[in-house]
Amino acid sequence: MKNLDFNADKALAKDFLSNFADALGEPKYLKLLQDVSNRKFRAVQIELDDLFNYKDLDEEFLQRVTENTRRYISIFAEAIDELMPEPTEVFPVDEDRDILMTQRVDDGTDSADNTDPLQKMPSEIKRFFEVYIKAFSKGTPLTIRQVKASNIGQLVKISGIITRCSDVKPLMQVAVYTCEDCGFEIYQEVTARVFMPLFECPSSRCKINKAKGNLILQLRASKFLKFQEARIQELAEHVPKGHIPRSLTVHLRGELTRKVAPGDVVELSGIFLPIPYTGFRAMRAGLVADTYLEAMSITQFKKKYEEYELKDDEQEKIERLAEDGDIYNKLAKSLAPEIFGHEDVKKALLLLLVGAPHRKLSDGMKIRGDLHVCLMGDPGVAKSQLLKHIINVAPRGVYTTGRGSSGVGLTAAVQKDPVTNEMVLEGGALVLADMGICAIDEFDKMEESDRTAIHEVMEQQTVSIAKAGITTSLNARTAVLAAANPAWGRYDLRRTPAENINLPPALLSRFDLLWLILDRADMDSDLEMARHVVHVHQNLESPSLGFTPLEPSVLRAYISAARRIVPSVPRELEEYIATAYSSIRQDEAKSNAPHSYTTVRTLLSILRISIALARLRFSETVAQSDVDEALRLMQMSKFSLYSDDRQRSGLDAISDIYSILRDEAARTNSMDVSYAHALNWISRKGYSEAQLKECLEEYAALNVWQIHPNTFDIHFIDA
Amino acid sequence: MVGLPYDFLANPLGAVRLSFEKAVAEAPPNVDPPAAFRGKDWGVLDLFRDFLFEQGGLSQVPVLDASTIRWIQPNTLVRVRGMVQDMLGNEFYIGAYKDGSIWRTNKFTDSALFPMPPAYETQLWERHLFHCVPIPGQNSWTMELSPSPTVRNMLGCCTSQHGEKRRREEDADGMDLNCSDHGDQTSPSSSKKQKEDEYLCHPSHSSAELVNHGCSLQQSNVANFDASSLSCLVKVYDMPESHIKLNDVFEFIGIYTFDPDPVVHNDDSDDLMDDLMEDVMVHLPPSKVPRVHCLICRKLAVQDFLSNFHVIEPLPSIVKGIRESLLGHLSMALGNDGLAAQCVLLHLLSRLRARVDVVTVGKLSLNLTSFTRESASVFGNQLTAAIQMLLPFTHAIPLTVEYLNTATLKPRKNNQTGRLVAGVLQLAEGTHLTIDETHMQAGVLDSNGVENARLLKHLMEWQTVEYDFEYYKLEMAADVQLLILSEGKSNILPADLVLPFRPTAVAAAVNPSAEELQAWRWYLATLKSLPHSSEPEMHQLLQDELVAAMRGDRSLGCTDLNRLLTMAQLMSSSFGEKTLSLERWQMVKELERLRKERLK
Repeated sequence: MKNLDFNADKALAKDFLSNFADALGEPKYLKLLQDVSNRKFRAVQIELDDLFNYKDLDEEFLQRVTENTRRYISIFAEAIDELMPEPTEVFPVDEDRDILMTQRVDDGTDSADNTDPLQKMPSEIKRFFEVYIKAFSKGTPLTIRQVKASNIGQLVKISGIITRCSDVKPLMQVAVYTCEDCGFEIYQEVTARVFMPLFECPSSRCKINKAKGNLILQLRASKFLKFQEARIQELAEHVPKGHIPRSLTVHLRGELTRKVAPGDVVELSGIFLPIPYTGFRAMRAGLVADTYLEAMSITQFKKKYEEYELKDDEQEKIERLAEDGDIYNKLAKSLAPEIFGHEDVKKALLLLLVGAPHRKLSDGMKIRGDLHVCLMGDPGVAKSQLLKHIINVAPRGVYTTGRGSSGVGLTAAVQKDPVTNEMVLEGGALVLADMGICAIDEFDKMEESDRTAIHEVMEQQTVSIAKAGITTSLNARTAVLAAANPAWGRYDLRRTPAENINLPPALLSRFDLLWLILDRADMDSDLEMARHVVHVHQNLESPSLGFTPLEPSVLRAYISAARRIVPSVPRELEEYIATAYSSIRQDEAKSNAPHSYTTVRTLLSILRISIALARLRFSETVAQSDVDEALRLMQMSKFSLYSDDRQRSGLDAISDIYSILRDEAARTNSMDVSYAHALNWISRKGYSEAQLKECLEEYAALNVWQIHPNTFDIHFIDA
Repeated sequence: MVGLPYDFLANPLGAVRLSFEKAVAEAPPNVDPPAAFRGKDWGVLDLFRDFLFEQGGLSQVPVLDASTIRWIQPNTLVRVRGMVQDMLGNEFYIGAYKDGSIWRTNKFTDSALFPMPPAYETQLWERHLFHCVPIPGQNSWTMELSPSPTVRNMLGCCTSQHGEKRRREEDADGMDLNCSDHGDQTSPSSSKKQKEDEYLCHPSHSSAELVNHGCSLQQSNVANFDASSLSCLVKVYDMPESHIKLNDVFEFIGIYTFDPDPVVHNDDSDDLMDDLMEDVMVHLPPSKVPRVHCLICRKLAVQDFLSNFHVIEPLPSIVKGIRESLLGHLSMALGNDGLAAQCVLLHLLSRLRARVDVVTVGKLSLNLTSFTRESASVFGNQLTAAIQMLLPFTHAIPLTVEYLNTATLKPRKNNQTGRLVAGVLQLAEGTHLTIDETHMQAGVLDSNGVENARLLKHLMEWQTVEYDFEYYKLEMAADVQLLILSEGKSNILPADLVLPFRPTAVAAAVNPSAEELQAWRWYLATLKSLPHSSEPEMHQLLQDELVAAMRGDRSLGCTDLNRLLTMAQLMSSSFGEKTLSLERWQMVKELERLRKERLK
């Protein structure tokens, strides 16, 4: 056992406190002490980061501080006692304590027999500050199950959720007695939760007189600390499979009380300490020690993109990813990788996660930046899976169903508090998902009351309440991701899309992208599904995806990094967008049965999607390619709804066949395609042989390919 | 060696202490002995392993349950079988302490022989606490006959107070002798003797109380299991964290300590102890829940519950014979409905083989429909009884609106007490759950009812149960076979396989012979765990078959394909075959055809 020189360490602590300079060169702790002396603060927080960055750092000293923190707190406190400057400002001296202190100081000079340790005034009673040592801010906090017996006495940092909190109670720090006989003040320092009160005066005068002076506890003169207990439980993501979360008792003292409430996710640093049982319990279970964490600092966790702190390696990963040209596809594929296909839908969902910045115009008008997406489709096409996955990736997301489980529903409700009988406003899922994503499953089965309110949420992004005397407006800046079933459960191909979609146009127009996912009879997808199912059953693992999907944490980090960028639309692109918009309007005017209503909202949607795409590229300006991709996505979302029309009109079928053949040739990397193969491919897509022949002739006339006169084999002419 | 100075069965702690002191004495002088032994054992477990498994001591170790706790002595070796119901985290205890100049240990015990020295002469060690309850739904035939006759005889002489006392004193003396052999003993043994006399003051009274409490605790804590055994707190040492999981069925062999302190907490309600500080132990007072300090533990499989388990290579001919007789038995119970018997057999053989992304492979829940209230009372009961005789853990839920509204199916963490409150769905792996929906009437579900229905449906689809931790929910993996009896197709609980039940004859309840039952149990236990391998040539065939099936019937979805493949695998397993052959695939197709016909 090394013999530690605590006096030397005190000198080190003093040296650190008086000489440490922060990044600006200011003496951080001396300034802090001055403020403490002026009674502006009570807490002196010594950060290990500062200790580590201190120029004359003694590594061993740092280690001793982390491993025997409680001892070093008192060493620092003694050092501060010696360093404490005189107050520079006048503050009212009306506190009891100050009056008592002045008295005591006067007494102290009088009494000569100050040799008795119990009579000597403990330094605690003079202090009007509290010392905390804060653990390194870097480094991942431990989970509760990682705190072991070897951590006892050390400063540890843990994260968890607060499950219980006690009331704040006074805890005696120094008990002060006066003796009936000799009239001396007797001090007793209390270090544990329980103490044995003194009954006989220990002062030398009483002892000499054998008076056994009766002691009276002076509550007003004693020093108390605010004290609160809390229980912290492991977070769900830290619990290994097949285990249940552990919990730990935390003691909060002084300025740290009333900082947490049940349900808070916090990061705590504190000293892990054992409490031996006392009294009766000690006799019964003397071998067991309870442990607790004496809190030193509390940090509340917030799960917002804006406050997402990147870890060192994540920054690097994101930079590497950003350099990759194909990041858009890569990120989209990594969303719900276990769901096969649906690339464009996933791209739309990725853009929903990224979103565009909110705009507030000078006249007070707000333009929302959140993208709303609606997925419509047959039952069993993994809509709910997609929704749940998105909620998983989003740092703040609420998953709910249109039916809403509680009375609050989706928006908000005024409810009567059962205890106080007061009217309280309770936010629904949309309000809870403020600044995040709200995924609403079974959107079509929504309650009528919610449906009217959701109009407001989706455009104005607020929820207004005028009920029971409460008139207010709550923020609901959320991106809505809705999933709905067609009107008759399954999509009825004989009816028009408008009939199938069971939502009013006013609501539909608020979605930036509307996607129809159909369970189509398709040989390719059938085979793909059969292959997948057989593979899963035979090998008990899913077939390899052909790429490694990015981890959700990396996705989250990338998206949060992208969300910090506010891209602008360059002037030269404005014309381009305007032309694109007017051409869509023109097309719609021409067609006799318009499928959609292109409105100013559509224009805003194009802008939003383009900006989200620019964010993904980490670019400050929107490029033309972004606008093109936005238009393509909007076009594809329309196609998903109206592709049946497309198939019926003969011309489109032929260009479609051409693109199928072209793609297949490109895939196999050859210029020749045999007729049998071509027929095979197009029949899978539901086209007839006659259509193929028509296509072959038409494109041969355009000199795109040559057809063998006998076998009809195709040879592409390289342009 | 003349003989061991301690008795493993009656004085295991003697072995622990003696070997510790020996190890400390033999430790090289430059090593700090207590630090070196932290988190390790010093060869004592090998001593016990040798005694239990090499010398056949295992059969002499009594099983701790409600019937045996009356006569089992504290500080002796016991066996406990049960399910890990709750994990109470770790406990720090004074593992080693200096008694004079000698290091002694407190491992595997709750009380020390000597008063504790000041803190700097002690070492804090760590142990894990598990709350162990009898396996929910365990059937009576799996209960081992305990104790073995030899132990009963051995202890028979000590049942009287006198004998007991004698015995204990002898033990104590023996222990003292051992101790004094090894060093200057500072504390007189009288204090200890006094302590042990205290034990004897009211052993009968307190253990009776213990049993009573055990029963009542079970009733309040876990909804359904028979009260012939009681819950206990197992303290496990030096175990890798991942070894024991929640809901695992384990056998712990360890030292039973029992603190018959009758004044538990009546006078301990001092205000100084804040309500937050009270640890979970308060709710599991040592006088009511026995403690077992685990020396050796092992995870139990279904096979371990077969009374005389004989390892036979599953020969095709034997397996086929058993299969036929079991099918006959099942169809008898099902009123000669052969098709239903086939489906039930496949269902009984199903188990969760893997979770792949969103697919749970291997589960096959069965919904027998077309039950009426009358037929349910006859055939439903027969079937439930038959399953009870075949599988070790079964549980039946009569589903009604009232049940859904009132039952607590979801295990919930009570943050006030720090305990996990068991719900009905906290079940051990491989439990069979029969849900009888025939009593369901139209009614209103409250929020609890909706939640319970959702929980059951979730269990059915994903084989996971959501545990409520107040501020968040954790999904725990489960492996439960679900059988639903209903009038029409159950929409609350959509099963994988739906079959209308068509009994043709009412047969009187048949009582199979013990040999038959044993064979059937062995058959189900063995074939259920049979590994299944894949043949590449079957892949292509299956793919083509599935595509063809989808062409034929557009309504077939991913779930149907999964079910067909699961049935095929179970069908080949039911013949003891490890790979799927075309023949079995044809059988499944035929089964499916017959089933479809009935559904029309």
